Amino acid sequence: MSIAPQSGGSGVAQRPQASGLADVIDTILDKGLVLDAYVRVSLVGIELVTIDARVVIASVDTYLRFAEAVNRLDISQEKEGLPGLVGDMEEGGAKHKTKGAIEAAGDKLREFADAQGGDRETQRSRRRGD
Amino acid sequence: MTAQMEDQRAEGGRTGVYVYGILPGDIKVESGAEGVGDPPGEIRVVRHRDLAALVSDVDLDRPLGRAEDLFAHEELLDATAADVPVLPLRFGAVLTNDDAVADELLGAHYDEFTSALKQLEGHAEYVVQGRYVEDVILSEVLSEQPEAAQLNEAIRGMDPDASRDERMQLGEIINNAIEAKREADTQAFGDALSGQVTASVVRPPSHELGAVYVALLVETGKAEKLRQAVDRLAEQWQDRIELRFLGPLAAYDFVGAAAPADATAGD
Repeated sequence: MSIAPQSGGSGVAQRPQASGLADVIDTILDKGLVLDAYVRVSLVGIELVTIDARVVIASVDTYLRFAEAVNRLDISQEKEGLPGLVGDMEEGGAKHKTKGAIEAAGDKLREFADAQGGDRETQRSRRRGD
Repeated sequence: MTAQMEDQRAEGGRTGVYVYGILPGDIKVESGAEGVGDPPGEIRVVRHRDLAALVSDVDLDRPLGRAEDLFAHEELLDATAADVPVLPLRFGAVLTNDDAVADELLGAHYDEFTSALKQLEGHAEYVVQGRYVEDVILSEVLSEQPEAAQLNEAIRGMDPDASRDERMQLGEIINNAIEAKREADTQAFGDALSGQVTASVVRPPSHELGAVYVALLVETGKAEKLRQAVDRLAEQWQDRIELRFLGPLAAYDFVGAAAPADATAGD
């Protein structure tokens, strides 16, 4: 970028993957020569406002998060393992979610059916025809 | 430059000299390269005999550490390292003036820096970082650790508040299992690449799903072979570990107090 090479270019043909902020933090806040080890008299203290984005390993939060993730995982695996059942379960789930609305609609439908002198058969055939 | 700094002092602003890295003296800096600070200071060179330091003036009354500052520091050094050996300084190194850089830093440690630069000649650092694919690695743990599978089952029927101890226990088992996998995979990684690198340093994991995190000091001529070897590993681990390959970087991981002496020990 800013330095003219003193000799030929590097042997790396492909462009490197871009470093993200986390990569940079891991690298230049943690590694490299520490000036304090070499210079004392003329060292100037300057305020640094850097955020440490690193995750603390093996914390309570980590454990609870792993437990949660593995619990979720199991359910999704059952679904993948039994595709036939999944369709039914999902349909069931969907019915549960919108239960309130369907019940309300069902009441209306029943009233309508009663008024027409129909029964549940009528409802079913109507649905199939949709 | 000293005159410029004195002018700034006269105006009441306190400035220092921010130091990025140390490199051989036979380099030129393109004009207009920008460093840390807001507005960014212009990159320039302070020399002592055949050593040089990349520096820029910095306002001492303003804290440093914005994302822009961090990127400026690293990008300058990484771009430099692609072409010439450089000893990168940790972020935040400021000295009083150019004379201090020349005498107290470069002059006082001339032999040490010269020999460290000699060892880095023709090398660059690469970093490989791998992260486990969560679902895949958790499935592995469940199938390998009956205790975890049992706990997982038990927790499912329990009230979340009542199951805290069990969840902690389950999480700890998973965490320990991942730590063991991390160690084994890092070992396998090192074995697979040992022929391509001059030295390597295992970095502490930066994420709970971290699989491998290794800094590699590599001869410039071997960089392409290394990349191919990493590609093969990435393919082999495709389903369970996502690999990233960063570099060339300045040799941050190989310039610690004792590191220059170790830097070529692996060959």
